[in-house]
Amino acid sequence: MVRLSNVTHAFGDETVVEDLSLSIDPGEVVAIIGPSGVGKTTVLRILALFLEPTAGTVTLDGRNVWSLSEENRLQLRRRIGMVFQEASLFDATVERNVEYGLRVRESWRERLRDELWSVLGSNGTPEAVTEALDFVGLSDKLHQEARSLSGGEAQRVSFARALAYDPEYLLLDEPTSDLDPRNTALIEAAVREARDRGIGVGIATHDMHQAERIADRVAVILGEGVAEVGSAERVFENPRDARTAKFVAGELVY
Amino acid sequence: MSVPLEPAAPLFPVVVDLPFREGYVRSIIFVSLYVSVTAVALSTLVSLPVAMLMGFADFRGKQLVKSIINTGMGFPSVVVGLLVLFAVSNQGPLGALELIFTREAMIMSQFVLATPPITAITLAAITGVSENVRDAAHALGGTRLDVALVVIKEARYGIATAILAGFGRAISEVGSVLIVGGNITSADGVSKTRTLTTAIQLEARQGQYDTAMVLGAVLLALVLTVNAIVVRLGDEGAMR
Repeated sequence: MVRLSNVTHAFGDETVVEDLSLSIDPGEVVAIIGPSGVGKTTVLRILALFLEPTAGTVTLDGRNVWSLSEENRLQLRRRIGMVFQEASLFDATVERNVEYGLRVRESWRERLRDELWSVLGSNGTPEAVTEALDFVGLSDKLHQEARSLSGGEAQRVSFARALAYDPEYLLLDEPTSDLDPRNTALIEAAVREARDRGIGVGIATHDMHQAERIADRVAVILGEGVAEVGSAERVFENPRDARTAKFVAGELVY
Repeated sequence: MSVPLEPAAPLFPVVVDLPFREGYVRSIIFVSLYVSVTAVALSTLVSLPVAMLMGFADFRGKQLVKSIINTGMGFPSVVVGLLVLFAVSNQGPLGALELIFTREAMIMSQFVLATPPITAITLAAITGVSENVRDAAHALGGTRLDVALVVIKEARYGIATAILAGFGRAISEVGSVLIVGGNITSADGVSKTRTLTTAIQLEARQGQYDTAMVLGAVLLALVLTVNAIVVRLGDEGAMR
């Protein structure tokens, strides 16, 4: 379980996240919703062990992440995948992109050997790479240049890239905000399937309907930390917090 | 045409059709390439880590390094030549190495000239790599070294351009190699420290326009070839 306890984060004088407690279990989808600019991305980056919060604790399976050595933290970080709002693919083929997570987990000797093989052109595609691309329905794009993909395809490759090394948790930062309905549906289907495989998914979104469609639990952030966390059904149908009610009803627009 | 005042080598009767002496030209090309390629290789070895450090880390004196690089880009080559000459002259700090009028001294001055542009262009290229790409490498489980390697890969065209620019500056430079190298040939007319550029200016001054033109064409062809190779490499890198 990834857990944030009373986490506060500030960039300089500006407090972006305040006294937030939130957890993600394996096999559940937690949607982090709220208007743009309330710090959803910051929350995700803290959950991804990317960003050390100014105050509060972050634990993964009970281990206090930021009290560990960098080496140990790297091992924990490698159990988590992250997909960003903008598909930030490397300037290489789809295959090279998707296998990246596998490569960095290899020893230098193995990496050197794989580099040499790939220069010689007789490198087999790792099974995990084809599987991950199958997962997002893009196995036919294996040898295509990443930058020749459409926005939707690129985002799906990003998803496959984060999935290829079999993470236990997957964090998605507004993964569908720039996508058309078809690609959005494909990403959402992939999220559900990832959950069914036992992956804990955290997804930041400003789209309440998306949260309703895919989330088991919802954390509504309205500016000063979490206003309300609960099962998706409960939060949407019976919000306790007045501001959540307004946001859910679409009245609170920033 | 006036009679050359300082013949570089004894004048031979012309026995072949070529308007120049082949061995002479070949030795000049060799010296030019040897000096420039070695200097640029050394510059690259220094520039790449410096640019990476400047692009990724904050340290005291970063601004100073930046100003040194920027100043170095506009440094007049004759002045560099003069400073290296002082350094390697008998009374200079490196006098004991007896480098004056050697290829090694020429490499030193070329190194000083090529390093600032290579560093500056490399720095521009690696800071131009999107923050998102760095984040992605990090998020996918990369260590700092992995992230740095990704950035170098992403910036490969820029880095290739930087090295090319450094080579272009080195091979077509006259002032400093003339001062520290001395434009010397051995008694049998083989270049010791004579490069394409210094040979061209000498031949032209002596009215040996045929030889000067041939050397000029070789220099031009060299620069264009290197340019084409770098562009080709970049394209291939993009297609893989």
